[in-house]
Amino acid sequence: MKQELVLDVSDLPPPEPLEKVLEATETLASGQYIRMLHRQEPFPLYDVLGDIGFKHLTRVGQKTSFEIFIWRNSDEAAELAVFTTIGGA
Amino acid sequence: MSTPSRLSLTQAPPISVPLRFFFTAPFFGILAALVQINAGPDAVSQWTPTTLAITHLLTLGYISMVMIGAMSQILPVVAGSPLPRPLLVSSVVHTLLTLGVLALASGLLFGRGEAVLIAMFLLGAGLTVFIGAAAYSLILANADNATVSGMRVAIVALAITVVFGLRVAAEHVLHLDLPIAKSWTHAHLTWGFIGWVGILVISVAYEVVPMFQMTPKYPQWMQRWMTKMILVGLLFWTSVYLLAIIDSTIWNILTLLLSFYLAIGLSVFAGVTLYLQSQRQRRIADLTLKFWRLAMVSLLLCTSLWVVGQFWPSLGNWRNIGYLNGMLFIFGFAVSVIIGMLYKIIPFLVWLHLQRQNTRRIKLPNMKEIIPEQRIRWHFVLHLMLLPLLAGVAIKPVWFVYPAATLFGISSLLLLFNIFTALRIYQGYYTSM
Ligand code: HEM
Repeated sequence: MKQELVLDVSDLPPPEPLEKVLEATETLASGQYIRMLHRQEPFPLYDVLGDIGFKHLTRVGQKTSFEIFIWRNSDEAAELAVFTTIGGA
Repeated sequence: MSTPSRLSLTQAPPISVPLRFFFTAPFFGILAALVQINAGPDAVSQWTPTTLAITHLLTLGYISMVMIGAMSQILPVVAGSPLPRPLLVSSVVHTLLTLGVLALASGLLFGRGEAVLIAMFLLGAGLTVFIGAAAYSLILANADNATVSGMRVAIVALAITVVFGLRVAAEHVLHLDLPIAKSWTHAHLTWGFIGWVGILVISVAYEVVPMFQMTPKYPQWMQRWMTKMILVGLLFWTSVYLLAIIDSTIWNILTLLLSFYLAIGLSVFAGVTLYLQSQRQRRIADLTLKFWRLAMVSLLLCTSLWVVGQFWPSLGNWRNIGYLNGMLFIFGFAVSVIIGMLYKIIPFLVWLHLQRQNTRRIKLPNMKEIIPEQRIRWHFVLHLMLLPLLAGVAIKPVWFVYPAATLFGISSLLLLFNIFTALRIYQGYYTSM
């Protein structure tokens, strides 16, 4: 199973990016994380993620302006995978 | 390079912070309509007590009310920098503003100096708290965002509008009738319209027009310079205009030139926005787009009418040209943008806050279901019908004042009803979670 779920929302008008990523969080299996590609920092999303039990990390992206990594609070395998990706790339 | 995002999790204010402002605005719209219906056609003219009262019911009670609520929401989203103590600040500002507008409007309507004096304290205090809080958050915000730098200019303009407003209000308290009085009023309303309302709409447009309407971005030079150039223009205009009180031809010509400069600035903004909208990627014209278009066309009409009036003496001397221009700016430009934005912001807020509470992940309504599209379309039609009626009011008040005021009253009632529907949905789900 792929650990990384890439979600490019950079061409979608609001509120679709938010809707899409929240749908994606529901399908996330253990060990998986989302890499969201976006044209701006989705500040409102951060609040929602915190409240529904997800962590996130944002960095300046390569293809799009921002990349947001999202994984479950308790999911240490996913967290490790995120840090490895960020450290490596 | 990776940067951990700011982990402050409560960036966005509680939903009650912006909603209290949005919910109050339509009440002031209804009140303005009732005051106009009660006063009838004789009151249609600039400077009548009725006009002064409804002007502030609309500019402060409706337009600024929504703009302040929207800023409390937009600052954390766009700038990542929320207002400090949002709940406290918004309660104080909202209460003082609401009471202050009521006091100012009744003081101006009934010629009661005491009420105007009370309004000066309430509005002075309320708006100072808001200006202070917004300035604090804008100073902390990321500076190279055009929306942030534009909002800074708008806040400066609001502060200057308030100072001039207090100055002219003092004349009403003291019943002074100095010959220079109208110059201060003119400075006050120019800063209010072009500086506060105009510049804030421009700053917000940089962000929301490309984002919601999928248009290309505004040109870089425009994002960088336009709001600052308008601010500089306003500063020069004010100094020259107030000096022109010492009546001399040179000063008057300079004032006129600077007014042209400001009119051109606003027209360029409207023109570029209409152009960008014609270049949008998605062909479906959503209703927000229509409200914005209407606003831009009205703004162009407003500036053209003003310029034509300068060159065509018989139009320029027509008693109601200033009245018509003001009404076009208020209803055609500002209110159109506001209604269009509210129908985007409110469903989004309700949906977002429901998502946040939804830890059990129950099925939530779609954003489009929160305020039915059909009702927004109705509102657009009502609002569109209002604009030709306003021209009618300025030309033939006896015929048009009642239909126009009634129509705006109904339009505000519909807005109230739609906001109320959204709140009911929010509460319905909130209690079941
Ligand atoms: C602290 C807030 C404010 C106070 C105390 C205030 C007070 C006043 C007063 C006393 C007048 C009448 C001047 C006269 O009789 O010559 C006036 C006129 C006017 N004000 Fe304000 N004002 C405030 C805010 C605003 C804002 C925010 C706007 C617009 C965005 C605005 C727009 C106008 C306009 C358009 C007029 C002229 C109305 C007409 O042509 O009949 N005011 N204001």
